[in-house]
Amino acid sequence: MTQTNPFIAALAQRGLQAVVVALIVGIVSFAMMQALPGDAAYRIAAGRYGYDMMDAASAELVRQELGLDRPFWAQLLQWLGALATFDLGQSAVYGTPVIDEIATQLGYSLLLAAGAVVVSVLIAVPMGIAAGLRPGGLVDRVSLGISILLRAIPAFALGVVLVLIFAVQLKLFPVAGFRGPQHLILPSLTLGLGLAAVSNRVVRDAVVEAMDAEWRLFARTKGLSARLTLVRHVLRNASLPVVTYVGVQMAYLIEGVVIVETVFAWPGIGHALVHAIFGRDIAMVQGTALALGLIYVALNLVIDLACRAIDPRTRAT
Amino acid sequence: MSIVTVSELQVFAGDERLMGPVSFALGAGETLVIMGETGAGKSLIAQAILGVLPNALRMEGEICVNGRRVDTLTPAERAAMWGHEIATLPQEPWLALDPLMQAWRQVAETHVHVAGLSRPQAQHQTAKDLVALGLNGTEDRLPGQLSGGMAQRVAFAAATAGRAPILLADEPTKGLDSDRRDRVTRLLAQVPKDGGTLLAITHEASVARALGGKIMVLRKGVLVEDGETSSVLTKPQHSYTRDLLAADPVEWEKSEAPPRGDPLLIAEDLTLGRGGKILIDGLNLTVHRGERIACLGPSGVGKSTLLDTLAGLVAPMRGTLCKADGLGSHAVQKLYQDPPAAFPAHVRLGRSLQDVATVHRTPWDQVEANMVALKLSPALLERRPDAVSGGELQRLSIVRALSANPMVLLADEPTSRLDPITQKETMALLGQLTEQLGIAVVLVTHDRGIARAWAQRVLELGPQPEPSHSG
Repeated sequence: MTQTNPFIAALAQRGLQAVVVALIVGIVSFAMMQALPGDAAYRIAAGRYGYDMMDAASAELVRQELGLDRPFWAQLLQWLGALATFDLGQSAVYGTPVIDEIATQLGYSLLLAAGAVVVSVLIAVPMGIAAGLRPGGLVDRVSLGISILLRAIPAFALGVVLVLIFAVQLKLFPVAGFRGPQHLILPSLTLGLGLAAVSNRVVRDAVVEAMDAEWRLFARTKGLSARLTLVRHVLRNASLPVVTYVGVQMAYLIEGVVIVETVFAWPGIGHALVHAIFGRDIAMVQGTALALGLIYVALNLVIDLACRAIDPRTRAT
Repeated sequence: MSIVTVSELQVFAGDERLMGPVSFALGAGETLVIMGETGAGKSLIAQAILGVLPNALRMEGEICVNGRRVDTLTPAERAAMWGHEIATLPQEPWLALDPLMQAWRQVAETHVHVAGLSRPQAQHQTAKDLVALGLNGTEDRLPGQLSGGMAQRVAFAAATAGRAPILLADEPTKGLDSDRRDRVTRLLAQVPKDGGTLLAITHEASVARALGGKIMVLRKGVLVEDGETSSVLTKPQHSYTRDLLAADPVEWEKSEAPPRGDPLLIAEDLTLGRGGKILIDGLNLTVHRGERIACLGPSGVGKSTLLDTLAGLVAPMRGTLCKADGLGSHAVQKLYQDPPAAFPAHVRLGRSLQDVATVHRTPWDQVEANMVALKLSPALLERRPDAVSGGELQRLSIVRALSANPMVLLADEPTSRLDPITQKETMALLGQLTEQLGIAVVLVTHDRGIARAWAQRVLELGPQPEPSHSG
């Protein structure tokens, strides 16, 4: 074999992508922080000591300590140089290493994302298959209507609606925060419904296409039962576009994590990002944005590998 | 005792009768061939027996299989007969095989789930089947890695592994070159010899002749002639049967050689390949003004790649392609195999032609003159591609290609999807018109008869010695 192993090639490609993402995210988030109005030193001082305790002198101390008066490119180069040694710096507000902050928050965010994906799969797959087996039928039309409705509602509004119904009125689940598994349900549902609203239609289309395929009829006429044909041929063929689409949805998932965490005061990375922006905690903003970008790359690698596992054509030479 | 009995079968779409009435009875060891042009309703008979007529269609009459009336059964009861009592060979074997499953698994799963063998037994039997069909070495391949002929044999093994005594084969040789066609035909001819019952649908006289048995000739859904295959094929009574037989390219008259002019395209030491694999090595070819060249060879040998190279769409791996001076970038035009795929589906045909004529500043009179020469009615221009026949659409694509004022026309199996009578007519009109205009034609075909009768020069392409197979 003279050709590079396609598996290694995929890894190398994603690895390169990770480096590019790190550079772009770092530069863009830094530039956006610079573009925000107001004096960052005052905001940081307020974050450290509280609005009532700070004054021009403490802001000046912060400016000196963090070197905020240096030219922006010097600050950026310093961050990039530190990044090359895997050092994300310290939080400007708390003084703790950014990496420690992210390490705790990342676990919570991944828990929420996993919860959302589980919810969306549990809803989208059975619903999509049921709709796809009878296109134009009742399930198909009702699920289309619900999908459009759910997709049209922004995640923050859907979150508030779910809180009003299940937490405030029915008192089934807690409103916000995280102290136990029951706190996971409403945020996961908010995010998962948004994902399922589109992915159930993708599942449905994939099933319709597979059911119309000539190989499906041939599998039946050679004697396989409807159930065997579904299990042995239709599901595998139909899963391919669905898994590919889940990769596309990762962008929605990451965007959703930021919004949903903020709505539910979820102690994750998205919540931390929003908090850090308000506090002008530049190192935290860059660190959390970087973590989100790298998760995106990693998830896409997982999707690539899943597609390879399902589709033997990608493995053949 | 008869195994399949069909009495007064008719198929309707609304009030319009598409097919019938036809009646026949077939016993064990017997063969029935149904012949006729595309759209003659041949496939409807097989679909009615199997119970897979489209929902929009309605059948009348009676169908009995193994002494049991089946047309009144529920869909589930009919599906229970598939594979056990009736096996079906697909029309498009490539599309009939699961693209994600290895060839041997698609055969083995019938052995396990339909014939009820244990897994080791099924594996053993599958290996035996594939060797018997000359498919050793292809076990682990996916359908996309099989040739059309191989895919048809894999489909045959998968379809018959359930040991159903009745085999329905709907155009089983469609798109196969003559060697592979003969191979599949021999396979089918073996079915009645082993005590099975064969119902084969074809438009090819050579296939019908090899299968023997009885024959029914259908035209526009109506039975025009039936009898013993050998006598109907040698002494056809109906004029339509005679036309159908005369349309077999083997029977075509050799066309006169038009005068050959100056060289237009000169290819020297051309080496072509796809995906790193060499298909054609060191080919020299000169295309002269007004001449007809046929490229003949089995599927996958690089015929289409050669056309794409001559058209300048693909760069050769080695060698040079020279155009004569004064030959513009539109002087080489291409005709495609599948006319519906070559026209935008939702655009009026007139619009599609006008656009090309406008771009190339071709007077509309010239387009109309070409349409008259190809026997196309101007009324067709108001329609969309799905509202005209395949033959008309292919002739319209000839008109479209000629609107670019080409000097060379590259035709990639332009008639392989047309029925024989339409094929003969289309090739004759294409020959007349290009001769009149002095246009050279390079025809790609898998049919030796067409190549011999229609072209002055035949370029035979053989497979390159394949490096040892990996993966």
